[in-house]
Amino acid sequence: MLNNIIIDGLSFALPLLIIAIGGIYSERSGITNLALEGLLGFGAFCGGLFMAFLSSSFTAAQVPVYLSLIVAALGGALYASLFAVLCVVFKANQVISGVVINILSVALTGFLTRQINQNFFNQPSDKFQIGVFPRVSVPFLKDIPVLGGFFSNFYVFEVIILLLLAITWYLLYKTRFGMHLRACGDNPQSVDAAGIEVNQVRFKAVLISGALSGIGGMCFAYSISANFSPTVYMGAGFLAIAALIFGNWRIMPTFVACLIFGFARSAGNEIGKAMKLSSSFFDLTMTLPYVLTLLLLIFFSDTNKAPRALGEIYDKGKR
Amino acid sequence: MNNNLKNKNFLLRLLGDPKYQFISIPIFAIICSLIVSAIIILIVGQNPLTAYKGLMQGAGILAKDKYASFQGQPTDFMETLDKMTPMLFAALAVAIALRAGLFNIGVSGQMLIAGFVATITIGYSRQMSPFLAKPLVALIGMIIGALAGGLIGFFKIKFNINEVVSSIMLNYIYQYVFSYFINTKYIDPVTRQSRNIGANARLTLMQMEIGSYKMRIPIFFLVAIIVAIILYFFMNRTSQGLEISSIGFNSDAAQYAGIDVNRRLLHVMLISGALAGLAGVTYYLGYQPSILPKSLSSIGFDSIAVSLLGNNNPIGIIFSSFLITVIDRGATYMRSAAGVEQEIAALMSGIILLFSAMGVYMRQKFAALLGKNRMRG
Repeated sequence: MLNNIIIDGLSFALPLLIIAIGGIYSERSGITNLALEGLLGFGAFCGGLFMAFLSSSFTAAQVPVYLSLIVAALGGALYASLFAVLCVVFKANQVISGVVINILSVALTGFLTRQINQNFFNQPSDKFQIGVFPRVSVPFLKDIPVLGGFFSNFYVFEVIILLLLAITWYLLYKTRFGMHLRACGDNPQSVDAAGIEVNQVRFKAVLISGALSGIGGMCFAYSISANFSPTVYMGAGFLAIAALIFGNWRIMPTFVACLIFGFARSAGNEIGKAMKLSSSFFDLTMTLPYVLTLLLLIFFSDTNKAPRALGEIYDKGKR
Repeated sequence: MNNNLKNKNFLLRLLGDPKYQFISIPIFAIICSLIVSAIIILIVGQNPLTAYKGLMQGAGILAKDKYASFQGQPTDFMETLDKMTPMLFAALAVAIALRAGLFNIGVSGQMLIAGFVATITIGYSRQMSPFLAKPLVALIGMIIGALAGGLIGFFKIKFNINEVVSSIMLNYIYQYVFSYFINTKYIDPVTRQSRNIGANARLTLMQMEIGSYKMRIPIFFLVAIIVAIILYFFMNRTSQGLEISSIGFNSDAAQYAGIDVNRRLLHVMLISGALAGLAGVTYYLGYQPSILPKSLSSIGFDSIAVSLLGNNNPIGIIFSSFLITVIDRGATYMRSAAGVEQEIAALMSGIILLFSAMGVYMRQKFAALLGKNRMRG
């Protein structure tokens, strides 16, 4: 049972984390990103489309599964460029643009999935079959009591996400680009004075955000079901926003927030199962992560501080 | 040639003059999106005009070719108004919160809790006189909604919890908790929804015979319009309303000017929640007679966009909620009449919203163009 909590918890927490990191990149550059839900959905759609086409012409080898993550990242970035154009180039309200991007994403992917299925695969369906993502265990380590769960039966994408965690952490905190990005969110005027284009940095940040969300969305598509369908819009993007605000717009605390979230979720599930409760009672245990987050926020959000220029459209003339 | 220039100038003046922009820009955005949607429909291989006509026919704005007995264009139109009522309330809830710089993403949660409480308290008390039950439903919806909205405001000012996060968490909590209660106590085993409420408590009168038609009468439609007008005056003509706007512009400056920001924010969330509550009861005890467990209505999220399309202005919102509801309601008929996939309708709404999000940019751009033109002239 403990193993199950760990396995399910991680497979939920890590995709959530990569989406939240995407959100952090965007928000630290000063762009409020409520569009994560739409970005992850569109990314997953692109990955799903890729898999659907491949599996119709090739027999499934293991390679395309990993490629689909890349396609999802590209798709997420592509769709994010629309969001970036709205709020960086057209200077639209960021909150509103985010909501619009979400609504449009649901509509667009629903429409395209149906059309493509009809025209290319001759079947009226709103799903793409994407196959299964390989799960592995580490020999020996998986037999360690208690901790063994961390090493057994995990999706390979979880390892990829952990790698991305390291890369994105390094990029944000240890490189020149990362410093510029963070400065854009706190004091864009000073970045401009240093001769760096604020809007360019923000544009890039939003693209990164889209790419990471796309990967996260694809991972959710794999772990929820073996197909891309509208169920991928289950609110993970909003949860990621909650996690990153809870994590104070910093990567490592956000990681912790996602872990708490994932484990509370799987624990709620397992407790429900172990107590042999009726299925409707599961609804109550499902509230566990949300109640827990709310309680933790009550105790810990006193010091919560958003990036200072978050949500502000950068205006050169303003001081 | 000269005439052509004059025409162009006229169009530019309409789009560029701040005096007309409040109406000309949204209409321009809608026309742009109708053109884009038409192109998409053409690509799919259908006739956009037939599709648009089907949309209007489905929503009861144009007459269909044939109707079943007791059905007619008024029947369809009243159903559209019935569906528009909760959307209007919800969009107003979003609008007033946005005025104060608060983003009430929890409208759907507040709708659900208000709808649920009103359903189990009044909805199932079938002996109650309709003249008592209906106002009570609305009152309970308002109070419960206000409390739910106020809770978010309280979290915000007391514990510094971002309203977006607390709303999202509460949305999930309401959704699961009420799903539990509905599934264990109030389930209708056939429909898998909560049992239908009594006609005495329902805020929509069903199958009313008027003339030769049987139609729905959404009792609260007029109330919603009146509320929108009151809200317009409250937001633009009263000192409280202007205080709220000033918090939205710059809360530090508002604090400095002596406004009790925290108190005002709490008030705003109470009002916003009350409006969301009204949206909840007109949806769950009006347009529908029941609640589907473990789901939030999409109205809560769509209303954010509707509010934006209406420029966050209550009067504008009356029109934008009508437009979005027409597209939504007409979709089914469009499919059968024009052979266009239903998903196109959602896509159309999305494109309209996309263009209207660019509204601010268009305003500035056209104003600048007009200025240049005037200089030259």
